[in-house]
Amino acid sequence: MVEMLSEKLEWIDVQYWFYVLNDLSLLYLIIPFFVLELIRYAFLKQLTKDLIFDSIASVLTYGGFLVVGILLGLLAVTKVYFWIHNNFSLPHLELNWVTILTCVLLADFAYYWEHRAMHRIGIGWATHTVHHSSEHFNMSVAYRFGPLDAIMPIIFSIPIVMLGFDPVLVLLSEVFVQVFQTLLHTEIIGKLTKPVEFIFNTPSHHRVHHGSNRQYWDKNYAGILIIWDRMLGTFEPEVEKVKYGISQPINTNNPIIVFFHGISRLFKKMKKVKGFKNKLLVCLKPPDWMPADPK
Amino acid sequence: MKNSTLLFRSLAIIILIAGVAHLVRLGRSYTTGESVSYTTSPIVDEHTNTDFTESDSNSKKILNYNENTDYITGTWLANYKSAEFEGAVLYHLKKEGRVFNAYAMEYQDVHGNSQKAEGHKVLTIKRFDGYKGKGVYKMEYKGKIHNMDCSIDMVDENTFKLSYDYYGYSDVETWKRQ
Ligand SMILES: [Zn+2]
Repeated sequence: MVEMLSEKLEWIDVQYWFYVLNDLSLLYLIIPFFVLELIRYAFLKQLTKDLIFDSIASVLTYGGFLVVGILLGLLAVTKVYFWIHNNFSLPHLELNWVTILTCVLLADFAYYWEHRAMHRIGIGWATHTVHHSSEHFNMSVAYRFGPLDAIMPIIFSIPIVMLGFDPVLVLLSEVFVQVFQTLLHTEIIGKLTKPVEFIFNTPSHHRVHHGSNRQYWDKNYAGILIIWDRMLGTFEPEVEKVKYGISQPINTNNPIIVFFHGISRLFKKMKKVKGFKNKLLVCLKPPDWMPADPK
Repeated sequence: MKNSTLLFRSLAIIILIAGVAHLVRLGRSYTTGESVSYTTSPIVDEHTNTDFTESDSNSKKILNYNENTDYITGTWLANYKSAEFEGAVLYHLKKEGRVFNAYAMEYQDVHGNSQKAEGHKVLTIKRFDGYKGKGVYKMEYKGKIHNMDCSIDMVDENTFKLSYDYYGYSDVETWKRQ
């Protein structure tokens, strides 16, 4: 067993497996699932205009997110990764099953912290609020991204590269976590069996994460494993029926407003507070933070 | 939960997971008898754009045997078709200290006749990241040896393309593992 797990693998094979899991899953899982969700909505007579425009807005923000990602120079980022990997890293790990599994686990743990930061840092929430702004919950919501959503993952995955993991493997693992996460955005699947709900992040746990009910705020940050939330005190089970969305709804499906509403709200808040220090703190403190004396 | 608790639990999780990966790495280099002597690696990834010679001083120490790059060593065959020579040359590529060197071992003509070569060093790969590399390719032309900058592109683990452009004289050779 250990022999098998530590046996050297070929890059070309590993990249192909990730291609099947990460890229092709859009075709064989996500789109069919979304079609199923649409049929369910139609059956429940919930297939409203609002729902359709909400989904369209979500997919359009994904386009915006990709454009920003390219403008930010994700290519330059991979260069930074390689530079760090070659200059500030533990001995490099060879490609085998243990390396892949531990890399996915670390990418998942980094996702947890990155996600938590996105909720608890003003500037993080300014971009991540986009993802939470839909009042529906289906596969298309998973594609709702804010303009700066690509930045946080970069910062949080650099330590993994420094631990000796190949930058390409780190990127593939991160995408894998993201794809797993995508599949949780559904109301079709209820609660799964106890052991699964205990270990893994499930649609039920992630519905809670998208809830605007007060007890559901800032809970269940997990990507693949919910145990991180259980260990770090942010777990909340799904009990009360979830009301999706954010505490201050945006009430629009205009993709431009959806995409930029967090940033514009952050700017408004920065304008409101006095002094440079407070303006900076608005960006760094939790989104509900207000200076003791706002005048 | 206290911030210190969060920090300690998180560090414990990271150390545990990364520790497993590194234990397996050490266990493997122990069982396979790989050298675990640490030496300064010259094989700087070309993506880094760091100048090769300058990076020596600050590059991180890693295992002398690098699984990601050293698979390129071995015997390789390249085919040629030009006015001067039609046939193939067999090369032996080895890691020597900080670089990879290829030596001409045997010439083969189109009729299948082979002739032992003098073992001249023809290629030095100075940087190689497992996918792409840069180096110097020596070519004899009109009795003079020319040192040409060249690049290596792995097509798959058993094939790579060696390309060079020397004062407008450019070519791409395909080297196949034997
Ligand atoms: Zn979130």
